[in-house]
Amino acid sequence: MTASTRHHRRAALTGSHLFLATVTLGFLAPVVWALVSAFKQPAAIIQQPLDLFSSGFTLANYQRMFEDVPIGHGFLNTAIVLVTKGTITLLGAPLAAFGFAKYRFPGQNLLFGAVLVTLMLPMIVLIIPLLLEMKALNWVNTYQALILPGSVDAFAIFWMRQVIAAVPDELLDAGRIDGCGEFGLFWRIVLPAIRPGLAGLGVLTIMNIYNDFVWPVVVASSSRMATLQVVLSTLAQNISGHRISADYATVTGELLAASSVALVPLLVLFIGLQKHFINGILAGSVKG
Amino acid sequence: MSATVAPVQARSAVPARRWRRVLRRRSWPYIFVTPFVAVFAAFSVYPMVFTLRLSFTKWRGTGAAQWVGWDNYTYLLTNPSFWASLKNSAVLWLLVVPAQMALALAIAVLLNHAALRLRNLYRVAIIIPFVTPLVAVAQIWIVLFDQDYGAVNSVLGALGLPHVGWLVTSQWAKPTLALLFIWKTTGFIMIILLSGLQAIDPAYYEAAAIDGASRLQQVTAITLPLLRRTLMFAVVMQTLAVFQMFTEPYVVTKGGPYSSTTTAGLYLYNHINRADLGTGSANSFLLVVIVMGLSLIFVRLLRPKD
Repeated sequence: MTASTRHHRRAALTGSHLFLATVTLGFLAPVVWALVSAFKQPAAIIQQPLDLFSSGFTLANYQRMFEDVPIGHGFLNTAIVLVTKGTITLLGAPLAAFGFAKYRFPGQNLLFGAVLVTLMLPMIVLIIPLLLEMKALNWVNTYQALILPGSVDAFAIFWMRQVIAAVPDELLDAGRIDGCGEFGLFWRIVLPAIRPGLAGLGVLTIMNIYNDFVWPVVVASSSRMATLQVVLSTLAQNISGHRISADYATVTGELLAASSVALVPLLVLFIGLQKHFINGILAGSVKG
Repeated sequence: MSATVAPVQARSAVPARRWRRVLRRRSWPYIFVTPFVAVFAAFSVYPMVFTLRLSFTKWRGTGAAQWVGWDNYTYLLTNPSFWASLKNSAVLWLLVVPAQMALALAIAVLLNHAALRLRNLYRVAIIIPFVTPLVAVAQIWIVLFDQDYGAVNSVLGALGLPHVGWLVTSQWAKPTLALLFIWKTTGFIMIILLSGLQAIDPAYYEAAAIDGASRLQQVTAITLPLLRRTLMFAVVMQTLAVFQMFTEPYVVTKGGPYSSTTTAGLYLYNHINRADLGTGSANSFLLVVIVMGLSLIFVRLLRPKD
């Protein structure tokens, strides 16, 4: 290798790092800014937004936020939905996927076609129809309305079907010879065999349920039923309400504290389980 | 006689037992897909059929629905605000998709070198926005882009530039939301493109390098043609997402100023607030047709040219 190509390579490498570092900074800056600013004096947040460290550390924003914002209740509602809906998804989707992947039965193509159609149907167009149905059932502002629609997710079935199809049939036949029932095959052979796929589906499901906003804000907007994201969304309205008064700084401080509290669980989960997250997101991208 | 009867009896006795077993085995797949079918029928098929009917009526949520034929559809299709919402989404598409694809591709190409130091750190940092709750970051956006107190205008001020009314002027509100969308989802597109890049055989690049092709030539001659399917796929995903965009304008701008950020998704939602459910149902179906139509166009483009 000549000296000039080596020089050229090093310049290209420096350029790569410069570009990637700039982009990384841009992607992290809003989150870091919010997390740090939430510990600043309210007046300093709006008067010196760029000065992150010299204005003094305070927990006042958090204290005020926990007094004013029912965020604990939002977390509780989100946790209830997360556990119930998550369990239904993680059991119901692989079960249906097992039926589709390892059996041939009349009506199979029709039903799997239904899975594909549901995949393509944008959630937003189901909002009004579903809301009307919830009204007819008297389910508006109930847990079942938050939990049941979309609980056996079409995308999860689509993905798990591919994962389960890769489980060798010989394994299932061996199980049958050993006297395992059909459900036993699913429970004792298929589920353990697809553990990595299930982990990916698990983190993706947690992320989707935790971050979900469109459906909860439509069907569960009462303060009693509001999920974490719905509770958060009401803070922005406070900000425009306090636009002229001196309260603007206080409300901004509370808003940043609340946003931080909502951000941190997912950041921790993502950084701890990166590999499963990325597998989940990639599997999510093969749909359609 | 008895010699002929006996086998018949035997034949019918064995199949009966076997049939029961076969039947039991045959019914298992139906039992397995039942939870899905129940949820699908109750929360997808039923509401869609119900709404299709409702889209031909005038109904305010209570009392009897009044049959109005195609009125809701003609009302929407002749209503400038319906077209304005589609136009807002189309403008957002133009602001988001080309820029985002270029950015995500540049990042993915650079990250696709196994020897690059800090590779994993960059990748994780760039995906972080995608896993954060949209409502939380949308609120942070409001604070960051505030005209008087926001950090972004402080930076501009420090550089000697005038403050910009990011969220309060109709010419800047769309770009500011587009920036939020790009910030939030580029990591996702980057991973899709990266997995596409990793599927390309490195032998192509080695051969090109031996022939003396520069890095840029390698990208245009090898990467882009081989990545075409993946790129088009990413474009389809983002097109669907932009036309359904709801949370960003709902939280950040409430569709304003002067309806400049009332997207197709938010416009649909606004019918609920006005309890105008017949029109809302018709709007749902129009949006289904538009979104499906756009998907089909891109799926056509996805097919290899030959």
